[in-house]
Amino acid sequence: MRLINGPLTSAAISEIIAKGGENQECGAHSLFLGQVRRDSVEGKSVKAIEYSAFEEMVIMEADKINKSILSEFDDVKALEIIHSKGVVKSGEISMLVMISAGHRDHASRACAKAVELIKERLPIWKKEIFEDDSVQWKENE
Amino acid sequence: MEITVLFFGVLAEVTGTRTKHYRDIMAFGDLKHRIGDDYPEIVHYNFRVAVNNKIINDDPLLSPGDVVAYLPPFAGG
Repeated sequence: MRLINGPLTSAAISEIIAKGGENQECGAHSLFLGQVRRDSVEGKSVKAIEYSAFEEMVIMEADKINKSILSEFDDVKALEIIHSKGVVKSGEISMLVMISAGHRDHASRACAKAVELIKERLPIWKKEIFEDDSVQWKENE
Repeated sequence: MEITVLFFGVLAEVTGTRTKHYRDIMAFGDLKHRIGDDYPEIVHYNFRVAVNNKIINDDPLLSPGDVVAYLPPFAGG
């Protein structure tokens, strides 16, 4: 698990995919990218999200998620989680989850499960910034 | 004992601080009251509490140097 400043660039994402190729026993990688959505609230659009995190606890909880995924899905060989902190603009990528597994079934199911656990358990907060620079704290549903 | 309290997300804004040190704390209830006195507005917000990075449900026994974190609902992803 890594927290990075700002968005995940396409170069960073490509590098992670390329690194997945080092796991030659894998036949499937399932990749989830979370993007900042230009939501509209009372007629105002979201231009960016500012993320903040309790970093020490994020790392500890992500480690628990990692162990839980590896024990539930025995075909999974590797798991990569990256999340942004700081400001990420609408249309930019703020989270990446990549699960590498022997076969596609475990890769895709483990990826969906990891995303759910990340949203539920990682102490990360987001503040929506609108076009007029007003802000609103947002919670996961 | 001395306890460090961390505020995150909206609570860091409401309290105007991210870290505050409390001295002469006898128990968790005592700490809660001191925080409530300093920042009465936090009663209007939902949050959970973690002690040394673990979320607790009941009032914990505190030890000197413990770190207590006030965590608003998570919003990662």
